[in-house]
Amino acid sequence: MSSPFKITTSQPGNGSIHLGLLPPSTPRLKTSSYQYPLKLVSPSPSHLPDEAQTLVHTVYLLTYGGGLVAGDAIDLHVMLDATTRLVLLTQGSTKLFRSPGRDVVSKQSMNVSLAPGSALCYLPDPVQPFEQSCFEQQQSYTLLPSDSNGPTGNLCVLDWVCNGRPANGENWSFLRYGSRNEIYVAQPSGKRRLLLRDNMLMDDGGVTNSIKSRMDSQGVIGTLILHGALLTKLGHFFMDEFKLLPRIGGRKWDSGSESGDEDVDEATQRRAVRQREETATGVLWSAAAVRDCVVVKFAGPSVEAGRSWLRVMLMEEGSVARLFGERALLCLR
Amino acid sequence: MAQSTTALHALLLLSDSALPLGSFAFSSGLESFLAHRKTKTGTHRASGPPNGAVQDIEYFHAFLEQSLENLASTALPYVTTAARSGGDAAVKQVLLDLDNDFDASTPCTVARRASISQGKALLAIWERALSSSTAPTDQARSLSAAVSDCALLVKSTKPGTASLSSYNGHLPPLFGAVAAAMGLPIEQTGYLFLLNHAKAILSAAVRASVLGPYQSQSVLASESLQAHIKILIDRYGTVKAEDAAVSVPTMDVWMGRHELLYSRIFNS
Repeated sequence: MSSPFKITTSQPGNGSIHLGLLPPSTPRLKTSSYQYPLKLVSPSPSHLPDEAQTLVHTVYLLTYGGGLVAGDAIDLHVMLDATTRLVLLTQGSTKLFRSPGRDVVSKQSMNVSLAPGSALCYLPDPVQPFEQSCFEQQQSYTLLPSDSNGPTGNLCVLDWVCNGRPANGENWSFLRYGSRNEIYVAQPSGKRRLLLRDNMLMDDGGVTNSIKSRMDSQGVIGTLILHGALLTKLGHFFMDEFKLLPRIGGRKWDSGSESGDEDVDEATQRRAVRQREETATGVLWSAAAVRDCVVVKFAGPSVEAGRSWLRVMLMEEGSVARLFGERALLCLR
Repeated sequence: MAQSTTALHALLLLSDSALPLGSFAFSSGLESFLAHRKTKTGTHRASGPPNGAVQDIEYFHAFLEQSLENLASTALPYVTTAARSGGDAAVKQVLLDLDNDFDASTPCTVARRASISQGKALLAIWERALSSSTAPTDQARSLSAAVSDCALLVKSTKPGTASLSSYNGHLPPLFGAVAAAMGLPIEQTGYLFLLNHAKAILSAAVRASVLGPYQSQSVLASESLQAHIKILIDRYGTVKAEDAAVSVPTMDVWMGRHELLYSRIFNS
């Protein structure tokens, strides 16, 4: 039996994961290496209950102390061979600790390359920047070209950040927080073309607590990005649900009507429950289908509100659990 | 002497509120922002307009500041990068790449629609009117030729056949290119771009009955607006286009949810 703790490489904070494909179709974790302060743990892969018994690998991205101390730098490279499926998870929010000054920036970088037909599901816990932390991260996904215009890689990735430790009086009290998500399409010529960029950078500009006023009393803000044929159905679901949201400022002429409630189907009833829940918890969201991707932006007054909304949406539609197994939703529980 | 007259003329043309870009149709999220405010503070507004109006003005000032900040961080780098380009044969490719990257960086449907519609309008004005005012420098001539090529590209893309590789015609890179082709110095281009945005929002606010026309003019003339724009240019004017980033994430939420408004007077 192999050790779940993987061999380490020499560069601090570096790590790499290569999910290879043994002929004819058995995915296998070929390399998974890491160095302090990063730690990768991979439990045994699980079979999906589908016909093909698809094998899904899972890797936990851990950091010592559950976060990044000022000046820490993490650089993770992930490679997915054709048709493999990988779930990346975290174990609790990534805490960003106080920095001695704005010139000491903690950094996290993840570069993923996806061969045709492979799929990555990355639904982590939120990033939690403490007071006076200084942090930048970038996630870059490169879709490798397929031979004959076949399916490209598939992505279901989430990036979200919360206001810190509200119980300690923190409310977007960091010095600087930046997060960049990019999807590139590699072309046969070797060049990369930018498909999607979601780049956010908030800097207090030297004025203490200046970020709070921009956040309009939201406690969490996030972006979910979906791309690829496997996730088309989930994308459609978000777009359809967005279109069906109640109009803002409209009168609810139909509320309280006595007829009609009985003969609506279950999905409609569940939608009504969800929408009431959104109004009650104050979660605001929007979805946009652009450039072969669906981008969902959401904001909520607390981490729990955002987490619960996203979990309900993903479970209602079911694609994530079907494609990656129930474990993929672990961080949203 | 001739040089400075050209620049002044270009500045006056591009800052004219009668320039038919169609900016009046967009509120850049203001309408949605105010609608969300109303649902949050409850329905007491209907009974007392004076109190509501005072609140609206407070919200409006916060919105104007944040909208400018977000525009400066997301779009200004594209304006200045385009305005700095030119002088060589690759300028057209630079404009096409900036357009692709801006399109990729604007996942909000409402914001994309606003940017493309104004960009195309600018191209139409360029072809019909402004291209004759190209400044007599090599950089301006090469940019002028590239913008004309972009105008042809936009016309050759049939509606409905747009693919990932087609040219969209987003406003920020085009605005920078047009201003530089007309000989406007780069600092003025950035200032003009942000001031035009402030004007568009203020005009939307007047039509949304948040401000009166005199109030709107006094905001526009105020020292604080000038100072704010200057700070933004210092902060974002030299950022590279690939490092352009959203600095007010809630702005995307307002913009994106504009489509959910029960009644709308603006396109964004």
